[in-house]
Amino acid sequence: MTILTRLDQWRERGTLSPAQHALLSGHLRGQPFSLFLELNVLLYLGILAFILGLGWTVTTWSDQLGEIVILSALSALFVACLWYCFSRAPAWSPGETPSPNLVFDYVLYLGSLVWSVELAYLEHRHELLSTQSNLYLLATAGLFFFLSYRFDNRFVLSLALTSLAAWCGLSLSRWPGQQTEDYRQYAIIYSLFIAGAGVILERRGLKPHFCNTYLNLAANVLFWSLLSGVFKEHNNYGWSLALLAACGVSLAWGLSHRQFSFVAYAVLYGYVGLSAKILDQPSVNGTELLFYFMVTGTAVLVLLVYLARRFGREA
Amino acid sequence: MRAYSESDEEARRAHDLLKDWAGEGYITAAQHRQMQPETLCKLRRTNIVLRLVSFLFTLLVVAAAVGLVVFLQHTTNPVISVYLLLSALVCYGAVELAISQASLYRFGIEEALAVSSVGLLCAGLMVALQASPSSPARSDLEFLGPLTGTIFSLWIWYRFGLPYVFFAAMLFAVWLTTYLTSSRTEQHIAVAAFFAVAQFVVVATAPRYRHTYLQQRISIAEALLWLGIYLAFNVELSGPKSFWMDWGGIRTTAELPRPFYWSTWALIWCLPPVVLARGLRQRDKVVFASGILVTLLTLLTNKSYLGGERHTWDPMILGALLIGIAVAVRHWLATGPGGVRHGFTAQRLSGRDKSLLDAGVAAAGLVSPHVSPPASPAPTPEVRFQGGDSGGAGASSDF
Repeated sequence: MTILTRLDQWRERGTLSPAQHALLSGHLRGQPFSLFLELNVLLYLGILAFILGLGWTVTTWSDQLGEIVILSALSALFVACLWYCFSRAPAWSPGETPSPNLVFDYVLYLGSLVWSVELAYLEHRHELLSTQSNLYLLATAGLFFFLSYRFDNRFVLSLALTSLAAWCGLSLSRWPGQQTEDYRQYAIIYSLFIAGAGVILERRGLKPHFCNTYLNLAANVLFWSLLSGVFKEHNNYGWSLALLAACGVSLAWGLSHRQFSFVAYAVLYGYVGLSAKILDQPSVNGTELLFYFMVTGTAVLVLLVYLARRFGREA
Repeated sequence: MRAYSESDEEARRAHDLLKDWAGEGYITAAQHRQMQPETLCKLRRTNIVLRLVSFLFTLLVVAAAVGLVVFLQHTTNPVISVYLLLSALVCYGAVELAISQASLYRFGIEEALAVSSVGLLCAGLMVALQASPSSPARSDLEFLGPLTGTIFSLWIWYRFGLPYVFFAAMLFAVWLTTYLTSSRTEQHIAVAAFFAVAQFVVVATAPRYRHTYLQQRISIAEALLWLGIYLAFNVELSGPKSFWMDWGGIRTTAELPRPFYWSTWALIWCLPPVVLARGLRQRDKVVFASGILVTLLTLLTNKSYLGGERHTWDPMILGALLIGIAVAVRHWLATGPGGVRHGFTAQRLSGRDKSLLDAGVAAAGLVSPHVSPPASPAPTPEVRFQGGDSGGAGASSDF
């Protein structure tokens, strides 16, 4: 029985009103046909391409265009974006606030990226803060946090979190193989800080829907750092224990909040870390290696089936 | 012939739609509670994350088990090929068992087993042919590997409805053409012809499945085939001088014949409007998305085709064009009566769109592009701008 037949039956039985029936059967037939997702994707790709070209052009033609032209253009664009957002934003609310229109979020995102380009250009040309240039990152993170909370924008929140990470000296290019002890410590402190901040802000009811953005980034930074410790510090079991503890917390959080990405993090990172530790013996040969993967992989599958049936079942 | 019964599949679809409609407020919670029991089915499903992890670990277990048997035997190619073929059989049997006995549906495990069965079957056949003592016979029969892969993938797709296996079938078909002819031009034409014939069949049968659970499956196949046809023609993406070939270390200096080259240029401009129009006409989101993708690819590769000089502002123009189109379409739709024009709207009508968008925002958050000042002042006055490392806020970038 197709869904259209079911809708007819539900209407005949009075479960659905005729208006609801017309609306739902229309949706099934693509009447009207929503272009919401497609327009969002076009806007996002458009902004990425625009910023890429903007940065490239500023870099290549900075001498020919002149400082005033570049700074004026970037400032004008940044101010225009902010003006648009402030003039159209609804009143601030600590809860989730829907955007006034489809382009609103992307205008703010564009403005934030333009600000980054301008700041980078300015610092490079004048070195205003010289050796303290990292303060730009902190200031930028602060600005982005303000904008993301003011306008309820998760794109800009992500920029804020990554700016803060950069201020802590973290970048993907040094992961996972080139991490030093200090680097790992900064990464762990950063991840614990943003995870704590995310949870506290959620508990306080301040944009609670942002919490997942904080936690997902924190979990990935934390797990990468711990894994790096497991791989690099062969004789230090503290990293393995810390990884296990983090997996336990991630698993418990994921199951209790039905956020299964955290279950996946716990299983994947935990398996990789533990396997690296267990198989880190010179005597392990190919047969043992394959046997290990077969047995432990099956055990993980059994665990996953249990978790799926107990917690993650759909229909 | 299909592994899942029609009633189960329709019930599953109705169940998902009811959940979506209740989430969007089209039906009340009371109505949802009243209707939902009628949509229950015996299929066991799980959420997308556990499904992906289960898929990965099943692949790991299968690979380790097959590897272990082969490794332990220290044996020759003919025996290995028998092991691989037997493993394919076991995997396929396990899929059937997992579905008939445990009613697994998009659970990850049965999917990985199905994928493994395709891979093992082809690997077994190829190893068997490699082990063939007679060289001429071997080279004559090597096409059996991709041919079997194509047919078996299509069977898996038909029986279990896994859309990515259809994509695998397309890849096998591309591989197959390399055995048909050594001419690059003819290979492009053969691939396009294969996909065009398949598209004809898909398009011809699509109306029969409209508004049924099979509609999405057919839509995905159609979208993939449009993409395949497009890529077969776009020689800047799939030709001998494409960057894929460069990566694979098989870049050749062989030029394609000029008439063919310019015909493909004309075709990559003709196809996008056709695909977009088909997607809009059929109200098919997947085909429409495929149309958007091929349009973008045409815009991106046009300069390479024409041999034009690349400018730093090209991405800006493309970005401005995309933003402009999106804003104009949204404005045009929003100013229509009730935000609808000619049956199209910019409003969100389904919770699925929101879920996809949320997932996209989360992914974009992890790889957010960001330009930041360097940690220490640059030593040279020359301005450089190389973009940032994603996720690290570009802390390692140069400017």
